[in-house]
Amino acid sequence: MRAYLSAFRMRRKMELQYRGAVLGGVICQVFFGLILVAIYRAMYAGKPQEIPLSHITSYVWLQQAFFRMLLASDPELTDKIRTGSIAYDLCRPLDLYGFYYVRIMAQKMTGSLLRAVPMLVFAFLLPEGWGLMLPASAAGFAWSVAGLFLGLLCVCALENITMGFTMRTLDARGMQALLNLLMMILAGNILPLTLFPDSWQRVITLLPYAQLLDAPIRLYTGDTPPSSAPGILLIQGIWVLLLTGVGILFWRANQKRIEIQGG
Amino acid sequence: MDTIRLYLHSMRMLIRSQLQYPLSFFLQTLAQLVMEGGEMLAVILLVDRFEHLNQWGAGDLYFFFGLMSVTFYLTECFGRGITGNFPYLVRTGQLDTFLVRPRGVLTQVMCSAVDPRRITCIAVGVAALIIGSGMAAIEWTAAKVLLMAEAILCGSILILGLFMIEAIFCIYSVKSIELVNALTYGGRSACEYPIDTYPRPLRVLFTVLAPFALTLHVPGAWILGKPLFGWPEWAVWVSPVSGIVFFWVIWGCFQKAMRHYRSTGS
Repeated sequence: MRAYLSAFRMRRKMELQYRGAVLGGVICQVFFGLILVAIYRAMYAGKPQEIPLSHITSYVWLQQAFFRMLLASDPELTDKIRTGSIAYDLCRPLDLYGFYYVRIMAQKMTGSLLRAVPMLVFAFLLPEGWGLMLPASAAGFAWSVAGLFLGLLCVCALENITMGFTMRTLDARGMQALLNLLMMILAGNILPLTLFPDSWQRVITLLPYAQLLDAPIRLYTGDTPPSSAPGILLIQGIWVLLLTGVGILFWRANQKRIEIQGG
Repeated sequence: MDTIRLYLHSMRMLIRSQLQYPLSFFLQTLAQLVMEGGEMLAVILLVDRFEHLNQWGAGDLYFFFGLMSVTFYLTECFGRGITGNFPYLVRTGQLDTFLVRPRGVLTQVMCSAVDPRRITCIAVGVAALIIGSGMAAIEWTAAKVLLMAEAILCGSILILGLFMIEAIFCIYSVKSIELVNALTYGGRSACEYPIDTYPRPLRVLFTVLAPFALTLHVPGAWILGKPLFGWPEWAVWVSPVSGIVFFWVIWGCFQKAMRHYRSTGS
């Protein structure tokens, strides 16, 4: 256990190294957020919807703030697989899956928190109808934090499944790009899931991608009342177990037939 | 003429080299389709829910979306040398090799890369244009076709100019400046929708500083029969030229910056 903890800590420190580069990224992300909010505002001006505009703008800002949680991946691991230095990792007295799971978790968690804090502060300061609303209720906020944590576990498990494909085919850029794009659409980054047709939402919100950010955001804005929060968290929990299980089996199968590159 | 032949020859070679890995190429092309398809889906779902945006109906919105994606991805496909790793060439000092050859730097950069995977994005854009033009019941005339060609051409030149900004910064600072993405990719995302969607500061940014509105939206709106800003007809033909003017200014800056260029390589 201690070994995994220190792997987590090391990776967190590394992610904290590039604070300068973060600033440029944050400004870009804020700019994209402003564009999206402007589009939804113009749409709402023509035809107001059942969901209040403030929920949609909050949705946009929370998605932008935790963008890094969705898309961060471990470039070292891809390199190791390609060059064959993954052999060193196989010698460690650690479970390979667990080792890389805590590493990606440290990266996604630190990276997204580092960006989310300044962005959310900025979004709070924006005028009414542009920015981030306060959470609907204290209970809703508490549930949404718990939901966000489960979402993090989910996205790490998904990332490891994607990595499993890389192990198999060495160059999985096409596969990675496909899975990531699917995630951007179905996680609600391109268009808030709350704006999808209502009949679609019933299905989409059950898929694993909706568990990452959509479920916690709905708890935050109160689109999902705190009373139904335990059910939501249960769905998230089931997906975490399922995806982690599939990932572990996939990695194990890969390890049996792994080919070490290089010489 | 010779330059064009050189460019076409490079394109042929580059495309052939990319097709050496057919599976990876196929999957990446498919990924591009999913990406642009996803963007289009967002517009479709928004139209389904909101029906219109200011005076623009569903067909108008698809038309603007198609105009932007065709222009942007044609540029990314054939101008990949500039939109892709131009800053990288500066950062690594690889630009040096371009300086000793008997051709202009920009010609060589243009010849250095092509991105045929974008073909699926362009296809989505064309589909959006056709659907949009059908739904908005555009009556096509020779003048409208010509104007659209002008808009796409000038828009592409504008986008090339925008991507060159990063390369210029790179000559001075070596580090690449992510912030320029706000103008390039941000401009693409924003100007998929007509300019009057946005509040004044963004409108000014995309009309005066990065004139997407002048190159694409003004002619687009005229083709749709709903002229923007109430401008007369001749203005519609002149306004896309702003893209060329923009490129010309950036080109001047680039020439100036090149005199400052110091190699980073060994």
